[in-house]
Amino acid sequence: MTTRGRCWTFGDNIPTDRLVKTKYVVEPMEVIVQHVLEDLNPRFPLEVAAGDVVVAGKHFGQSSGRAIAVKALRATGIGAVVAETFARTFYRNAFEVGLPVLELPGVTGLVSDGDVLSVDVAAGHFRNETTGVERQVLPPDAFLLDMLEAGGLIALARSRPELFEDRGAQR
Amino acid sequence: MNMVEKILARASGRRSVEPGDVVVAEVDLLIMHDLSGYLTSRVFDKQVGGEVRYPERVAMVFDHHFSPPTEDAAAMLQANREWARRTGTHLLDCGNGNIHHAVVQRGLVRPGGIVVGSDSHTPVHGAIGAFAVALGNDSHAGTVLPHGKAWFRVPETVRVELVGTPPPGTTARDVALWLVGRIGEGGLIYAAVEFAGPYVKELGFWDRWLFPLLCVDLGAKCSFVEPDEVTEAFVAGLPAGAADRYERSDGGEASTVLRFDVGEVAPQVACPPTVGNLADVPDVAGRPVQWAELGGHAGGRLEDFRAAAAVLRGRRVHPGVRFNLVPSSRAVFTRALQEGLVLALHEAGATWFPPSTGSNQAYNMGAMAAGEAMISTHARNFPGRNGSPESSMYLAAAPTVAASAVTGTITDARELR
Repeated sequence: MTTRGRCWTFGDNIPTDRLVKTKYVVEPMEVIVQHVLEDLNPRFPLEVAAGDVVVAGKHFGQSSGRAIAVKALRATGIGAVVAETFARTFYRNAFEVGLPVLELPGVTGLVSDGDVLSVDVAAGHFRNETTGVERQVLPPDAFLLDMLEAGGLIALARSRPELFEDRGAQR
Repeated sequence: MNMVEKILARASGRRSVEPGDVVVAEVDLLIMHDLSGYLTSRVFDKQVGGEVRYPERVAMVFDHHFSPPTEDAAAMLQANREWARRTGTHLLDCGNGNIHHAVVQRGLVRPGGIVVGSDSHTPVHGAIGAFAVALGNDSHAGTVLPHGKAWFRVPETVRVELVGTPPPGTTARDVALWLVGRIGEGGLIYAAVEFAGPYVKELGFWDRWLFPLLCVDLGAKCSFVEPDEVTEAFVAGLPAGAADRYERSDGGEASTVLRFDVGEVAPQVACPPTVGNLADVPDVAGRPVQWAELGGHAGGRLEDFRAAAAVLRGRRVHPGVRFNLVPSSRAVFTRALQEGLVLALHEAGATWFPPSTGSNQAYNMGAMAAGEAMISTHARNFPGRNGSPESSMYLAAAPTVAASAVTGTITDARELR
């Protein structure tokens, strides 16, 4: 699950409203993807390439829990998002739609916009190929990695429905 | 175990759970508004298919549109209506109010249950003693609709204890905003936040409501106030009547306890670009506003209209300001009529709108041109949510909003002459 590509840096507390503006949420993905993060970096939707890595600060993807924000980011072709911390709705949505994300405290001090990075989320491994800096963190929970492996939650529920069958819950 | 852990254990068929466990639990209520309902139902129909397992546990609320302004919006609402009819889910159509207020007033949220929704402020239902979490559309389409279940990681609990009595003129909304500044946006990521302490205990239900509401800004997963006699009295007055079950802590300790003295909190304003960018009102007084609004998840309460009527008694809305009043539910509008607030605020120059979520995201009202500013009780102030990214949204309590509507600039209600 390794991706390698150009690093695009963003700041702290980026809301999903700025990933996909409300006026685009019900547009077709071909339209939405042309506007991802455009207010914060107009070059991003125009120049982002398959395998690129978004690096952000604290609490990335806060605000609305719209899964469309994560789906749009995935649709740009990026290989991973690495952030100091994530908003939990964004983090959850990322695994549920199959976008690899890695929480790496201190990452904003390890990169400059345009560096070449390689990231292996399943292994918790990060490397800045431009500077040679490497970091190793604990990989995400196995249940989350199962979801990524399956291609998202809907695919996981289809291939392993027993996970979501009755287990004697009391209502 | 505490309230959250007990609910998750019961709903996942376990004797007990601990923070860090991943469980699959039975969901009691899924709430979706007009936009998330549209996206989720499409994902469900296209990628999952089959029957909705428990349609009586699903509610769609049209709160971003009190009436569709375009043909596209009308078509979206019509598709949602058709889906709700076909699947048998609850539908609260245009005019029922803000999603969270409307489902509470309808009696659909029950203490001790699990509530999920796409709206990021869904954790507000912790105010009523539910475990309430915002999930993404794929959880709803992939597991909640077809199986009635969702996966959860059991969160660590952080108890926020509030002590002291704020000075006159400082409301619960001011204290809640101030806390976002003190704890910091993203300061409690993944936590279950319990609001406790003598200050919280003495608040009425709709003032307590403002605290679990803000947990999303702290990055928390969910939030709650331990159910007590205030909760029980409130629930007993809802259409579904008194609850037969509450989950309460049996003494399990929170992993972290944060204590704050609210005794010197001044009225607050959250300035753009984020909710955590707080100032005491006197420090930002004088900035011009062209719009003021009582509405949204954090406003449109009876308490807000009463506060505004008190500020506007003997005064008028400034000619350069449009002051929007958006009841959070039909029940609130009924009470506002009965108390004479509707006439008083209308005659003072404010404009009533139908029960809805008002200018939240500017779906059918509340867009601003570049350079315009609004002060409101809304929950969000990110640039671009209300029209131009060059417009400004300030978040405050109802007295500050009303006082600013009178003068046309951000105004401390305590200083109004």
